[in-house]
Amino acid sequence: MKIRMKDVSKSFRQNGVVLEALIDVSLEVQPGEFVCLVGASGCGKSTLLNLVAGLEMPTSGDIVVDGRPVEGPGLDRIMIFQESALFPWLDVVRNVEFGLKGLGLTAKEQRERATYYLNMVHLSKFHDSFVHQLSGGMKQRVAIARALSIEPKVLLMDEPFAALDAQTRDVLHQELQQIWGRTKKTVLFVTHNVREAACLATRVVLLSSRPGRVLKEFRLDYSYPRHIEDPHIAEAAGQINNDLKSEVEKAMREEMGVEWRLAKDRVLPGSDFDMGGGI
Amino acid sequence: MRKIGFYLVLISIWAAASSAGIWESYEFPSPWAVLDTLWNGLTDGSFLIGMSVSLKRIAIGYGLSVILGTLLGMVIGSVKLLDETLGSFIQGLQALPSICWLPLAVVWFGLNEGAILFVVIMGAVLAVAIATDAGIKNVSPIYIRAARNMGVHGVNLYRRVILPAAFPSIVTGMKLGWSFAWRALMAGELLFVGLGLGHLLMVGRDLNDMSQVVAVMLIIVAIGMLADRLLFARLETRIRARWGLAV
Repeated sequence: MKIRMKDVSKSFRQNGVVLEALIDVSLEVQPGEFVCLVGASGCGKSTLLNLVAGLEMPTSGDIVVDGRPVEGPGLDRIMIFQESALFPWLDVVRNVEFGLKGLGLTAKEQRERATYYLNMVHLSKFHDSFVHQLSGGMKQRVAIARALSIEPKVLLMDEPFAALDAQTRDVLHQELQQIWGRTKKTVLFVTHNVREAACLATRVVLLSSRPGRVLKEFRLDYSYPRHIEDPHIAEAAGQINNDLKSEVEKAMREEMGVEWRLAKDRVLPGSDFDMGGGI
Repeated sequence: MRKIGFYLVLISIWAAASSAGIWESYEFPSPWAVLDTLWNGLTDGSFLIGMSVSLKRIAIGYGLSVILGTLLGMVIGSVKLLDETLGSFIQGLQALPSICWLPLAVVWFGLNEGAILFVVIMGAVLAVAIATDAGIKNVSPIYIRAARNMGVHGVNLYRRVILPAAFPSIVTGMKLGWSFAWRALMAGELLFVGLGLGHLLMVGRDLNDMSQVVAVMLIIVAIGMLADRLLFARLETRIRARWGLAV
């Protein structure tokens, strides 16, 4: 399923001031691609995801998914949020079934499909648990299973692993690669973690700081499965990072005032710098 | 154990006070007289009639209150204009003890069941509405976004997401509403409407039979507490277990 964004702009009105979140973003995502959107905080990358999801409407420009313009939420594009957004009044399997009610499946088919995807994320044992009994990583697994069970063509992931600890995140990176390889979804993944982007994506799109526009694209042709510690992943991440850093600096300056700058290439004053003068 | 001990002490103080002869027995009945009256009233059926009449009234009045209150709270919680207008009006009305509606209710409905139901409903409906309204306003926006993303909107959004998410708050309102409704009903029955437990209190007073008065008071407390234990305490424990809230 192909996603095409053409000259997409979005502005918000906040306390009477118009804030430009995105300006003239044009981006094409091919079917089966794994695209990571990276940018400084507040660059509008989550906004772009909301626009593709149809949860918000662009101020101008078009978003076309599979030849049809996006006019609202659709079951072909399912979002996974940073906070798992699971419903605490339902147990795990009913959370997964939640999105299946409108698909015209029988109760048995719904249960079968939910169980299938819970198995895929290795949570079959927690079928009947309540949400609060799960760890953060398990909650995100359920959220992934819930999204997959609707069998959308596009997965929209909004910093899904940002709130997890590093070990859990590593494991989920591996599993997401497997799931992506298995299900052939088109993935649009928002993150501020460049390493994560380099580890997962076939293409990384760098957005400028507010207002967001596409700054640069990086193609990553390494084979899967990848690991975040692989040297070439780290190297690719380093390149992306260099470009991102100047954007972060720009964003910080906008937030904190013009005199703020990130001191570059300077040695920090330390005890090895004064040649033992303190002895 | 401590509780039982406490009640034993309480009853013995009561027994000692009544046998000390400070007050006449019709002014201050002994525990045994009350127990005796309670037993007689229950076996000859006169208390049972009173209980069934009161329970029927509370069931209808409270049931309607919960339905109306939830609907009202949903409307206020969802429509901004109504929140600013009707919402503040309801907050104000809540300050009025519902028995104060009785004179108006008698004029509107006459001296009958309608008047007492009205008073009961005015007691409970506002508490339920206010809690529902608060519950809906506090529904985490992420739930709504997630549901909309999965194609749920309109009535289904309310049925499947907003109401369940607001349910803990609604139960708190229902619990508060129950005690308001029960008080309102007793006050109403005491003042004028035939049969019912409140009426039995007045009969006791008219006959100068304080043991009947105390016995009926015990029944009123027992029913109020039973509803709380059987209905609301269970609901709350279930919700707490589900949502993972502290017990």
